[in-house]
Amino acid sequence: MKEISRRSFLKTGAAAAATFAVPSVLTEGWPVLARPEEAGYFEREFGVTDALYRKILAEALGKGGDFADLYFEHTISNALVLEDGKVNRAAGEIDLGVGIRTVKGEQVGYGFTQELTEKSMLAAAGTAATIADTKARGPAGRFVKLETQNAYPLKTLLTAVPLESKLPLLQTANEKCFALNPLVIKVSVLFQDQQKRIMIVTSGGVKAEDLQPNTVLAILVVAEKNGRRERSWWSIGGRQGFAYFTPSLVDDMCRKAVGRTVLLFDALQPPAGEMPVVLGPGITGILLHEAIGHGLEADFNWKKTSTYCTMLGKKVAEPFVTVIDDGTVPNLAGSINVDDEGTPGQKTVLIDKGVLASYMHDNISARNYKLASTGNGRRQSYQNYVIPRMRNTYMLAGPAAPADVVKAAGKGLYVQDVSNGEVKIGEGDFAFYVSQGRIIENGKLGAPVKDVNIMGNGPKMLANITMVANDFEFCLQAGGNCGKYGQQVLVSFGQPTCLVKSLTVGGVKG
Amino acid sequence: MKQELYDLAEWVVKTTRAAGAGDCRVSLQSGRTVTIGYRERKPENIQESSTKALLVEVFANNRYSLQRTSDVRRDALKVFLQNAVAMTKLLAEDPLRTLPDPKYYQGRAAADIGLLDPGYKALTPEDRHGYVRTLEDACLAKAGSKVISAQASVNDNYSESVLMTCNGFDGYTERTVFSAHAEVTVKDEGDRRPSEYAFAQAAKRNSLPEPEDLGSEAARRALDMLGGKKIKTETLPIIIENRVVPRFGDGFMQAMFGRAIQQKQSFLADKKGQKIASPIMTVIDDPFIPGGLGSRLFDGDGITAKKRVMIDAGVLKDFYIDWYYSRKLGWAPTSGSPSNVVMPPGQRSVNEIIKDLGRGIFVAGFIGGNSNSTTGDTSIGITGRLFDKGELSHAVSEMNIADNHLKIWSRLAEAANDPANDPFLYSAQRVPSLVFTDVVVAGI
Repeated sequence: MKEISRRSFLKTGAAAAATFAVPSVLTEGWPVLARPEEAGYFEREFGVTDALYRKILAEALGKGGDFADLYFEHTISNALVLEDGKVNRAAGEIDLGVGIRTVKGEQVGYGFTQELTEKSMLAAAGTAATIADTKARGPAGRFVKLETQNAYPLKTLLTAVPLESKLPLLQTANEKCFALNPLVIKVSVLFQDQQKRIMIVTSGGVKAEDLQPNTVLAILVVAEKNGRRERSWWSIGGRQGFAYFTPSLVDDMCRKAVGRTVLLFDALQPPAGEMPVVLGPGITGILLHEAIGHGLEADFNWKKTSTYCTMLGKKVAEPFVTVIDDGTVPNLAGSINVDDEGTPGQKTVLIDKGVLASYMHDNISARNYKLASTGNGRRQSYQNYVIPRMRNTYMLAGPAAPADVVKAAGKGLYVQDVSNGEVKIGEGDFAFYVSQGRIIENGKLGAPVKDVNIMGNGPKMLANITMVANDFEFCLQAGGNCGKYGQQVLVSFGQPTCLVKSLTVGGVKG
Repeated sequence: MKQELYDLAEWVVKTTRAAGAGDCRVSLQSGRTVTIGYRERKPENIQESSTKALLVEVFANNRYSLQRTSDVRRDALKVFLQNAVAMTKLLAEDPLRTLPDPKYYQGRAAADIGLLDPGYKALTPEDRHGYVRTLEDACLAKAGSKVISAQASVNDNYSESVLMTCNGFDGYTERTVFSAHAEVTVKDEGDRRPSEYAFAQAAKRNSLPEPEDLGSEAARRALDMLGGKKIKTETLPIIIENRVVPRFGDGFMQAMFGRAIQQKQSFLADKKGQKIASPIMTVIDDPFIPGGLGSRLFDGDGITAKKRVMIDAGVLKDFYIDWYYSRKLGWAPTSGSPSNVVMPPGQRSVNEIIKDLGRGIFVAGFIGGNSNSTTGDTSIGITGRLFDKGELSHAVSEMNIADNHLKIWSRLAEAANDPANDPFLYSAQRVPSLVFTDVVVAGI
């Protein structure tokens, strides 16, 4: 989900350094005893206080500005890798810091520190303050705790799960994959868990805390037949506890990983050119994310750099098309109880029965449009300032039967799995990469296809959605890492089977 | 700061071993970054930060883990390292996980590879603001009445790092990286708002282009994309512009790494010594280019950097093999990561080539797309301009190419040579624009 962005070139260095998340954390030293829902984590563990927040916020507003906020983060991540039959690699990472932002109109001053000392935080606040040049203002006199729903309660902290209990998960997956098919020659398995604790304190007097878990199990299979090799994978991820990964889930994942790999021996790259495309349910929602979602992020619209910036309130699709961005879906990867500037998690209707109903706002864009934030203010970490971002973006189910949608396509391409996508915001041109799909011939699913990029244009594609089926699914696969301005955040998707009248398929000569 | 980093690295090595690790490798980094962005002739964002990071690789009883933290207070670190070692011991045994044989640390060049700008410390806020203001002004001036939005930014980073192992390696690197970026959005027909960017990145600030030139380039690129449309699916020659060649070439490079080969996910695994591309394709990995963004004297394993011919006139000569996968494969290690990747330029400019070819696509950007390292299959969206009868014509959009890396590189017909432009210098991949024949370009 890369997006052309003016700072994407900065990503290379930073992203390359952050190869493998890490985090060990057995017991000692880190606060595994705190109950997940217990408030006051940063106060308890790092000794910060309301008086200190006031002092830092006052420094951040020392040269004026509309508002300021603090973002505390303590993230503990772990990864285990199985390769060649053994869990022989682990990685762990602990990240701790606070980011301080001063906002004046659309202008942002930002500093951060990895040391939660008064001196370091005041210095970072001093950097943030330089964006303004008027009279000092004071923050609110008291901070009120924000109460939110919890879309991802944890029974057991991920940091409290001993390493020994995770190892069998990977070993079982490895053995099952080999047992399922003699063509399998290599299996690698990755299990990752991340526990991110955040606290936002605003100059307006809001104090919000959240604990955001994320777990991923990914199984990659290589198979060989008559000297030819193919590889594929299956993964599951989201804001889940460790107990989610049951033996039956792992069993199902292995079947999918192996089944999808051996299917590729019969798959071809499809013919090239414009054709009807049917999106299967679930992960194909990546297309919504690219073709529609990014263009509806409000910053691109008040800057007038999005192709959608003049379309608010207008009909952009047929009446059976409703698209939603939602931070409240239980346990889905893009859910957030609170966004990264203290706005509660919520559900935002972007396209309501074919009419463009809303952009996605953070506080800055909401002020520009004189609206309330939609809770889309997100950031990768304390090292980044907030920008409008998606959460879980999905299209509601329609009336059609899935088989009728395929039939209506006649001759075209059925998209089953998508691995990545990208959009050019200003043109609205987008691309997504189909790792697996099927040819549609005579209204029926035919031969498997693989490795094909599809391109289209967002507004044109929206207008070209001619059927939507009743088989809506959320995407439970892992890896919804969306990049914008060099910042990665977790997102997910959802999609019923639907028919797009015409897209350009980057196949081979047919 | 150098001594401070060394002291801490030595302490971490000692403490990790005292916690029960047989061996360890420690990487410590400390840096400062300043970013300033402008839009509508005022600062849109100002960001400044200092960071520290510690990476410890633990080798305990033939077991391995890597651990990162940003909290380098010694009391917190001690607990962190003890936990790291205890956890490592729970993993499966893998006797191939060791530190490199120290003989691979030998022979490090003493050359100054020009990684540090001596003027960095004298850089003032006004220097930064001045550059970015001029950059934005140049975008606006060149784009004229068509402009919807121009954004400009500069970024500079200073970092120091120490890599140390308990079997005799230590290395220190001090470097600066300066970058500048401009993006311009212009008004087109209907709802299309083409947006393009120009960027540059260099170890020394005076190696960046003049802001007037960079801003004007961003605007020119955006204007070039006006009127973008797709053409009928056609088999054509394409010229891939130098600065985006690495994005396409990456699908090929993925198959050159030890892990891909050992895990049977490389379409090049059994091709060493064989002809895998046209004779035009020569790729050199050169870590010693002064000021090169990938320049280095040693790699992440501590292995001494060497200049290597990876592909010689179409024949595959070498792979990127780190220490661990060298042991798994039973091959000699080279390096697990590329340094500067260089392809020699050819004879003619892009304009001369366009005149000669007549009709084709000049690819200025890619969108989406991916590549399968196991089979070499690839498919990717393209943006750029059609050329016809030897002249650049309209912009193209919503088009794709699909091929296989083992086939398409055999159809590499020419490398361009525009002295002002080839190779692209603001990247660790210094390559010229490349011409491929008989590519199926999918459109209508």
